[in-house]
Amino acid sequence: MELLKVQKANKIVRLVLNNIVWIILIFSVAGFSSTIKGYLSLGNYINIVYHSVFIGMLAIAESYCLISGNIDLSVESMAAFGAIASAWLCGASPFASGLKVNPFVGLLLVMSVGGAVGFINAFFILKMRIQPFLVTLSTFIVMRGLAVLLTGGKGISQITDSFQFVSMVKFLRMPLMVYIMFIFYIFFHFILEKTQFGKHVFIIGGNVNVAYNFGINVHERLFVVFVFSGVISAITGWLMTARASGATPAMASGFLFEVLAAVVIGGVSMIGGVGSLIGVFAGVLLLSSIRSALNILAISPFITEVIRGSLVLMAVVLDSVKRMFR
Amino acid sequence: MKNNKKVILKVLALSKNFGSVVALNNVNFEIYEDEIVGLVGDNGAGKSTLIKILSGNFPPDKGEVYFEGEKVNFKSPVESRLLGIETVYQDLSLCENLDPVSNLFVGREVYKKFLFFKILQKKEMERKTLEVLSKIDIHIPSVKEKVEYLSGGQRQAVSLSRFVAWGRRLVFLDEPTAALGVRETSKALDLIKRIRKEREVSIIFISHNLPQVFEIADRIIVLRHGEVVGIREKRFTNPDEIVSLITGAIHIKSIGQQ
Repeated sequence: MELLKVQKANKIVRLVLNNIVWIILIFSVAGFSSTIKGYLSLGNYINIVYHSVFIGMLAIAESYCLISGNIDLSVESMAAFGAIASAWLCGASPFASGLKVNPFVGLLLVMSVGGAVGFINAFFILKMRIQPFLVTLSTFIVMRGLAVLLTGGKGISQITDSFQFVSMVKFLRMPLMVYIMFIFYIFFHFILEKTQFGKHVFIIGGNVNVAYNFGINVHERLFVVFVFSGVISAITGWLMTARASGATPAMASGFLFEVLAAVVIGGVSMIGGVGSLIGVFAGVLLLSSIRSALNILAISPFITEVIRGSLVLMAVVLDSVKRMFR
Repeated sequence: MKNNKKVILKVLALSKNFGSVVALNNVNFEIYEDEIVGLVGDNGAGKSTLIKILSGNFPPDKGEVYFEGEKVNFKSPVESRLLGIETVYQDLSLCENLDPVSNLFVGREVYKKFLFFKILQKKEMERKTLEVLSKIDIHIPSVKEKVEYLSGGQRQAVSLSRFVAWGRRLVFLDEPTAALGVRETSKALDLIKRIRKEREVSIIFISHNLPQVFEIADRIIVLRHGEVVGIREKRFTNPDEIVSLITGAIHIKSIGQQ
């Protein structure tokens, strides 16, 4: 009976540790708001959320991959390719294709490319049995290369009005894009926590032998995870173009590490099988709110990187602390 | 006593090599309905290999297996499970990142279709898990707690819960008491006996622990170097004879001798 008591006490500690990102987020925002002039305003808060949209979307894709025990390094350059390809398809400037495709047709086209890239990732990982890290590192490089190749390295600075419109719409002072991110989080959280597919993702990430032994179609599930990842990345790229009213092949550079940082801070384990999108969302917001604080304070951007790196380290330490409370 | 019982599993001339290592060589035996058979042998005698073949983890090189009179050729554990054969593996086969409910229902999740989503019926699965665990009588803090936070005995209980919930016709228990303390072991053995009484299920019980085997088995099959060196009814044998068979001190290959 002693054992049960200890286990119950540890449960409370773990409950706190599992939700610690939210606690840190609340304390950070409260701290910044009370000490930094200009931080405490609805406009700034909306800004923080608005600036977390792209990292936030890619973090969903990455969370699924990590929870399933895999990793997808190609999200960043897939987003870049999605951005430049939608600008190329729908844009109006000299380096665009001149096709002036309807932006929603353009979205469908880049989504199919994203799906195809996810499929190729999954194919090499599952059928050729190559490490996910190596496969997606290759597609990471290839997609960035294709992004440069598409326009000969040139940017596209003009898109059609109907495309730009996507970034202009606001409801209740919040840009449409923020709602799009919310919908993605709600939808993918629902899939992960409430459906059989989501449960299988956790099982595969936790112990793939159990998954095989008990008849879960591991390959099918992982193909879906990687295709999801590619498609979400492509959609993110399309949104980036809409917001910037154009695209360059260098877009989204460095996003990968920010995404991984947000996801790990949000409590997703790199080993697989552990994590929730609720935590990830807090991780994304935390990074964004810190970025905003540093911007307002006009602190050297180099220190930003140091702070961000330390946060990731803290998250990893936290992960091992959680393990101690068995 | 066994003459009027139906054969549920028949193994004929089963052989398996791993490279040049002979894991199983010409293994023959029968399992009857509603009996507990102890499968014993030294480390590397082929016990786990035999179980893995019979539950469909990998195919034999030679030989035939008949389940309830039908020849079977399992290509995966799923196929054997569909016929009511359940295996509790030695390494527990648990997802430590998930709770007992998820572990009990791996690959058998209860869901309702909504559009093209398969929505998990968590309440129903929890209820069934509680019911099964209460039968096992080993306390765990919560069915929603991750297995990694449970003790060895509690994990074993989760592992056994699969057999209690799903074992309908034939169950392989690979060292089910290995992680248990003295009190928990006797509970687990009681459980196995009770389940056998409740339903017509045959149980193959692998163990290193001869007193345990003698406590619950009706018959004992001894493997040595991949061969069946003895099949004994418990009534007509004693631990000394079984030990001699395991170690090779008696060398009679008289299969089926009483």
